[in-house]
Amino acid sequence: MVKQIIPANYREALSLLNEEPYQIIAGGTDLMIQKRNTAGLPPKFEKNLLYLFNLKELKVVIKEPSQIRIGSMTSLEDLLDHPNTPLLLKQVIAEMASPAVRNVATLSGNIGNASPAGDSLVPLYLLDAVVVLESIGGIRRLPIEEVIVGPRKTVIRANELIREIIIPDQDFTKVQWTKVGGRRADAISKVSFAGTVMIKNQTIQDFRITLGAVYQTVIRNRSIEASIIGQTVSALKAEAETILAQYEPLIRPIDDQRSNKDYRKQVALNMIKDFIMKI
Amino acid sequence: MKPIKFSLNGEEVELDLNPSLRLLDVLRDHFHLTGSKEGCGEGECGACAVLLDGHIINSCCFPLGNINGHSLVTIEGYSKTKRYKALEEAFSEEGGMQCGFCTPGMIIAAESLLNKNPHPTEDAIRIGISGNLCRCTGYNMIVKAVKRASEKGAGLW
Amino acid sequence: MKNISQSVPLVDYQEKASGKTVFVNDIQMDEMHYAKTVRSEKAHALIKNIIIPALPDGYFTVDAADIPGKNFVKIIGEDWPIFAKRTVNHIGEPIMLVVGKDKAVLEEIKRAIKIEYEELTPVFDFQSSAVHKHYSKGDFESLLEFPHRLIEHTYETGYQEQAYIEPQGLIAGLENDRKIKLVGSFQCPFYVKNAVQSALGWEPKQVRVIQAAVGGAFGGKEEFPSLMACQLAVAVNKIRKPIKMIYEREEDMLVTTKRHPSRIKLSGIVGANNRLLGIKAQIGLDGGAYVGLSSVVLARSMLAVSGAYAIPNLDVTGDVYVTNTVPTGAFRGFGAPQMIFAIEMFMNHLAEELKIPAYEFRMAHLAKQGDLTSTGGVFRDPIILNELIEKVAKVSGYHEKHQDYQANNRFKGIGMSCFFHGCGFTGSGESTHIKAQVKLRKDKSDQVFILVAAVDMGQGARTTLKKIVYDTLQIPASQVTFERPDTDDVPDSGPTVASRTVMIVGGLLARAAKKLRDQWVHNKETTVIEKYQQPDFIKWDEDSMQGDAYPAYSWGVNVVETEVDPVTYAVKVMGIWSAYDLGKAIDERIILGQADGGIAQGVAYGYLEVMRHESGMIKQRNLTDYIIPTSADVAPTQTFLVENPFAYGPYGAKGAGELTLVGGAPAVALAIEQAIKRQIHKIPATPEYIMELLNHETN
Repeated sequence: MVKQIIPANYREALSLLNEEPYQIIAGGTDLMIQKRNTAGLPPKFEKNLLYLFNLKELKVVIKEPSQIRIGSMTSLEDLLDHPNTPLLLKQVIAEMASPAVRNVATLSGNIGNASPAGDSLVPLYLLDAVVVLESIGGIRRLPIEEVIVGPRKTVIRANELIREIIIPDQDFTKVQWTKVGGRRADAISKVSFAGTVMIKNQTIQDFRITLGAVYQTVIRNRSIEASIIGQTVSALKAEAETILAQYEPLIRPIDDQRSNKDYRKQVALNMIKDFIMKI
Repeated sequence: MKPIKFSLNGEEVELDLNPSLRLLDVLRDHFHLTGSKEGCGEGECGACAVLLDGHIINSCCFPLGNINGHSLVTIEGYSKTKRYKALEEAFSEEGGMQCGFCTPGMIIAAESLLNKNPHPTEDAIRIGISGNLCRCTGYNMIVKAVKRASEKGAGLW
Repeated sequence: MKNISQSVPLVDYQEKASGKTVFVNDIQMDEMHYAKTVRSEKAHALIKNIIIPALPDGYFTVDAADIPGKNFVKIIGEDWPIFAKRTVNHIGEPIMLVVGKDKAVLEEIKRAIKIEYEELTPVFDFQSSAVHKHYSKGDFESLLEFPHRLIEHTYETGYQEQAYIEPQGLIAGLENDRKIKLVGSFQCPFYVKNAVQSALGWEPKQVRVIQAAVGGAFGGKEEFPSLMACQLAVAVNKIRKPIKMIYEREEDMLVTTKRHPSRIKLSGIVGANNRLLGIKAQIGLDGGAYVGLSSVVLARSMLAVSGAYAIPNLDVTGDVYVTNTVPTGAFRGFGAPQMIFAIEMFMNHLAEELKIPAYEFRMAHLAKQGDLTSTGGVFRDPIILNELIEKVAKVSGYHEKHQDYQANNRFKGIGMSCFFHGCGFTGSGESTHIKAQVKLRKDKSDQVFILVAAVDMGQGARTTLKKIVYDTLQIPASQVTFERPDTDDVPDSGPTVASRTVMIVGGLLARAAKKLRDQWVHNKETTVIEKYQQPDFIKWDEDSMQGDAYPAYSWGVNVVETEVDPVTYAVKVMGIWSAYDLGKAIDERIILGQADGGIAQGVAYGYLEVMRHESGMIKQRNLTDYIIPTSADVAPTQTFLVENPFAYGPYGAKGAGELTLVGGAPAVALAIEQAIKRQIHKIPATPEYIMELLNHETN
């Protein structure tokens, strides 16, 4: 019989995690389905369970001078409503799942789940999100791309939990999000695209692209991006095909019940090209 | 394990059950509140929808343990309110019901939406009920019903 | 009531909205046991051995050996086993039930049961025909002797899953030692009753079937529940305790019947003046592992070959192929959607080859009153297709948009489909198979009870049939009662299928009500029975498929406008406009609601809903992976009903339930075709398929 604890506060949660391993439950919308049993029976959880959903300390969003700190139990819907949530993240959340799921799901749940098709991860990679992990032993701050190392694989230690996600403030001239799902709501992405660009005097100061659902983890390549910085917009457009050729080998999607790899790859490249040509 | 305490349709309850149980099963099997339905068991169809502190959630993927300290309203409790009456009338007048299986969930979705946005546009309504699947109506009459309730029930939300 | 079409509230709207409606899973009984099904993991295999662990007290397995009667589900033929015995023919085929009170224990037992298979080679393609039919009109072959143009195309359609929001389920228990009662979510109480009688070998008075509220059906609960009922009845007979069996969504999607995938080859002969002189059709339906109802689905498909058009020469062959996949079955439209997709696309593709406007080509061949039907019957009643087309073309701006989108390359398109649906059972089915009866009983307090087997599954039958009775009797609605059918109380008025409920059952009720009105005596108990009588003019030969296939036809036109995203190939439906002739609406709001739902399903069949199998395993087995429209997917929809009363239908009503689904797929496919400037031969026309087409220069 698994141990199930609803900790009274954050400190108790840290202390419990340090004593033995627990499966952390945030909103539960992923885990309750992944582990589901037949109707009427409790899910097939094999590890001890720690319910963090109601920890008020973690349901906060704090705006600081140059960043926003999002407590790990903040619901996606609350983030959507918050005035300081970056526009790109809002666009992504607005198209995720459904109102009922958004009212309960969290970014930390998405990060812990580390699904290759997780929508919220795509803007977090682009926005240079930092994941704050805490244990009794102390705090680690890791860029999101170092936290997720594979499908459903993270570096989060057994005695750690996600305390908050930090997103630095940043300005963009243009923000683009395209989710390609089976339908216009309630859909798991077949492929997704986030792109931002910062232009001053017709010159590219900042250029970022992240792609979702086309590899084991979100794709972001900083060296391709670095090579674009400093170019003029027209020069960039002229060499769009070269850029595509650089992204092409990174895009390694699969065939599954939702779509096939040819479609995912071609559409991912189409979206990159479309973004560049419309800057 | 301390008992789980929450308010169910306005009454305080205390439960000593497995916290990982699906809220849907607790409602249907323990409390015999069968208005919330299982349509898919994976948070996709919304037939199991209930109101958590006034906001729609899918009870089929919500663990009992997370309900601690919250207020939960099911269609049984909600159907005693004036707001419900406005929705019930509007759904009837606009033809927003056919087989009725998705209807309690739809009404919960409508309440969750109108509670936050008392005068929604048609687009906002479509988004508000986007997590509730209906196979009978094609949604148009449901959208009209929610619009009608928001207009005729002015002041209720 | 002055005009019966005037809408009234649904009789049960308050119960539905407040969650008080009792669906089968809401029912609890004392000593209730649960049943879970052990299923084949192989598409085609011999069962060599089954190892069942020692069962705790109160837990049982139930299999073919426990069947007192016949190990076949009584549908049409004796082809569909209740439990597989020596051979399994599809993944998910039921082998046994495990029954007991604690679901956790049932799961453990299921896990511990070991089945040893000897695998056989499965068949997934169109090799093995179990049903072969042919009919002809005129003489197609003779056309080949004259100068002609022969144009051929092949069309394919995929599965469609009914995706009723309430999964399938039944409860069964013994009323006494020799009487069983079954309650469940199904369309045809008497189908269930007859099947259970056959499985148990019991007398009619020993089997009682009661309809629970049905949370959507669309044909998916027409014949499949009989299989579940037989299994449960055998189990109840064995353990003598009540048992509940509710499918969860994944199980339901994996193993219950779906729309037949099809491959249809059409060869058209065009003569002088671009006149379509004849069509040769070869229709293949994938029946899955067991034929079930498939021969009737095939018949309807074949009969729809010329769609809304009058074509003088036809040569039509049809086959139901048996494959090692889930058995396919009834789904709203019942073979017509596949054929209407093919013929509508074909007419357009023919016009393209002839280099004439498709619209003109189709208009030139529309059926008219007096024309012969595909089987040499006659369209006796007025056909107002032209009026429907004009109306829809006007409100949608069809012609202007079509011209604009044709001339420009803006990834926009608009498509129109014209179609019909034969109302009621094919040919003499009503008089030879169903022999429907209805009963009205007036009690001493002058309350009138409607006693029929018709099931309200959301199409509003409880409201419309009641309306027909109280309007004819000129009494208040509250003076008429229509409970959900209980076979102990009601005569067999036939199954709730084939768009027959208002036209046939409602028609019988109207006649019965008229009789009751004529012999009305206050406070005197009176019962009136009305039996179906085939109108004389319906002459049908089943074997040669000649004559009047249907007593009446409903007609429709759909226009769908789409935009295709050139970057993602995603389709956005921008608008839907429809007009229907279903005779007369018994309740306008109910019919318009049916129309909304039907076109949503029909359009989604054309571009959105994907279900495929891989080596016999259904790949999209839940509502996350099988995509049906959400509220965010449905386009602004306008529907017009044009009255064209049918003399033999109550108040002029014809069949309505299926018509509104039948034309959606070709309308959206034609719109996508125009948007991408490529021909579409397969549905669903998904973004993946669109990309494939666009990657080729032309097609």
